[in-house]
Amino acid sequence: MTTLKTDNIVKKFGGLTAVNKLSFSVDKGEILGIIGPNGAGKTTVINLIAGTLPVSEGKIYFSETDVTNKAPHIRNQMGIARTFQTVRPLKDFTAIENIMVGSLFGQKKDLKAGREYAEEIAQLLNFKNINKPIDELTVLELKKIEIGRALASKPDLLFLDEVMAGLNSEEIWELIEIVRKLQQQEMAICVVEHIMKVVKELTSNVVVLENGQIIAEGPYEEVSADEQVIAAYLGEDY
Amino acid sequence: MNSKNIILILLAIALVFPLFAGPYFVNVLTTIFVFLALSLSWDMMLRTGQLSFGTAAFFGLGAYASAITVLKLGWNPLFSIVIGGLFAGLISYILGYAVLKLREIYFSITTLAITSVFSVIIRNMSDLTGGAGGATFKSAIFNGDPTKIYYLLLFLTLVVIGISEWFKRSKIHFAINSIRNDEVTAKSSGIDVFKYLLLVFVITSIIQGVIGAVYAQQYAFVEPESTFSLNFLLLPIAMALVGGIYSTNGPIIGAFILGIISEYLKLIIPYGHLIVYGLIIVIVVLYMPSGIYKTVKGKMLTNNGRRESYDHT
Repeated sequence: MTTLKTDNIVKKFGGLTAVNKLSFSVDKGEILGIIGPNGAGKTTVINLIAGTLPVSEGKIYFSETDVTNKAPHIRNQMGIARTFQTVRPLKDFTAIENIMVGSLFGQKKDLKAGREYAEEIAQLLNFKNINKPIDELTVLELKKIEIGRALASKPDLLFLDEVMAGLNSEEIWELIEIVRKLQQQEMAICVVEHIMKVVKELTSNVVVLENGQIIAEGPYEEVSADEQVIAAYLGEDY
Repeated sequence: MNSKNIILILLAIALVFPLFAGPYFVNVLTTIFVFLALSLSWDMMLRTGQLSFGTAAFFGLGAYASAITVLKLGWNPLFSIVIGGLFAGLISYILGYAVLKLREIYFSITTLAITSVFSVIIRNMSDLTGGAGGATFKSAIFNGDPTKIYYLLLFLTLVVIGISEWFKRSKIHFAINSIRNDEVTAKSSGIDVFKYLLLVFVITSIIQGVIGAVYAQQYAFVEPESTFSLNFLLLPIAMALVGGIYSTNGPIIGAFILGIISEYLKLIIPYGHLIVYGLIIVIVVLYMPSGIYKTVKGKMLTNNGRRESYDHT
């Protein structure tokens, strides 16, 4: 079943077209990789689908419902969750309270049920220091908070925006295992990532963006051999 | 002694206070309650991250709504206080659709401008409001009995404290704290930002309207200049800053400390007490930026921590 389908979405910032007639889809239980050089429009695509930015043209369908004009908090309640490339923790809350925000509002749970759900998520993420304040957390823990808050809203579609950046390889493996567990729960996941090892390990299909357009799509092996993709990443001369 | 006992003792003192204190001290405490309630309401809005300068606006609006219902319609003063609150709430609900789209300095300045606009409108509707000269009532509420007014304001202040604690202990706390920390994260986590801002804006405006209505009924007098006075904005802010923002205890402590100090200073330095008063605020804000309540609480916690670590060795 198709969880997400975009139909020719366009985003213009003044004269600049950041996303140009983009159409792609993600199925239930699929992990889609979105790659591309810096400035290709990857994060903008997440912002458009999560509703943080309005689209200039085109339509977004989530579980066959048109969500193009829905407010971001409504989309989250419907089941679209995302993490942020630079972590955006709520600094006056503890770790577990940060995760709770997702279950309290994304799922509309009450305080008690919301906390219990957040604790389950913390366990799934192998997160120990749930009562620590934000400023005492490590980079990995902050990334887990980011994922945890998204997961606590019990999404059907999850965007992970460069969650592996800044982690060492042991930590990356830990997160890869967690994402695989989520896939088994039949979640549709979009991974925006610069670390090719992660894309290779996790994704079944990859979409390559350049200047807001898809220049290649397909399984990782095919896409990584594509000359146009290599040119976009490394420059024409290679 | 735990905090529950302290609260019960303070409550008991507040309840019997008029029985052994003279009217002067009853009046001092009544005024403290007025500013305490305003200070808490201002802090509740600040918890959403919005610095409102509109406290005096809704205070004045409530005062005038109450005055007009008593003077022109001849309604019961107690009922007119309810009208004062509802009217302030209604106007804040309508204005909320415009001002709550604004953020930071733009929100603050607009709420300050609203105060002036209300005052000008009231001044120009002289048939209804008495114009620039204001309007005087035939008699104050409860015929000016300070004890009854004290109990009315004590009751209202307790209700405001109750609302503040309800904010702290419910989902509202999670919503408004998230909005203050990071609005984009809040939106992306399913929080209806505008709905919560409007809820808090309307509730705090109702509180300000009710307190303004009581104030008008207590002094049997409304006048644009003094009813929309910036004292009803600046003193509550000073109290919350001195006591400690984002809490219920902070504004309470701040209101009592500044309220008592200002009365005392008036007695010992009749001319110039405001200079000393201002100095105290500046010193507290400079040396205890998180307010007296959190600074003292933090000190007590670290002292306990040290004692415990000594016990271990």
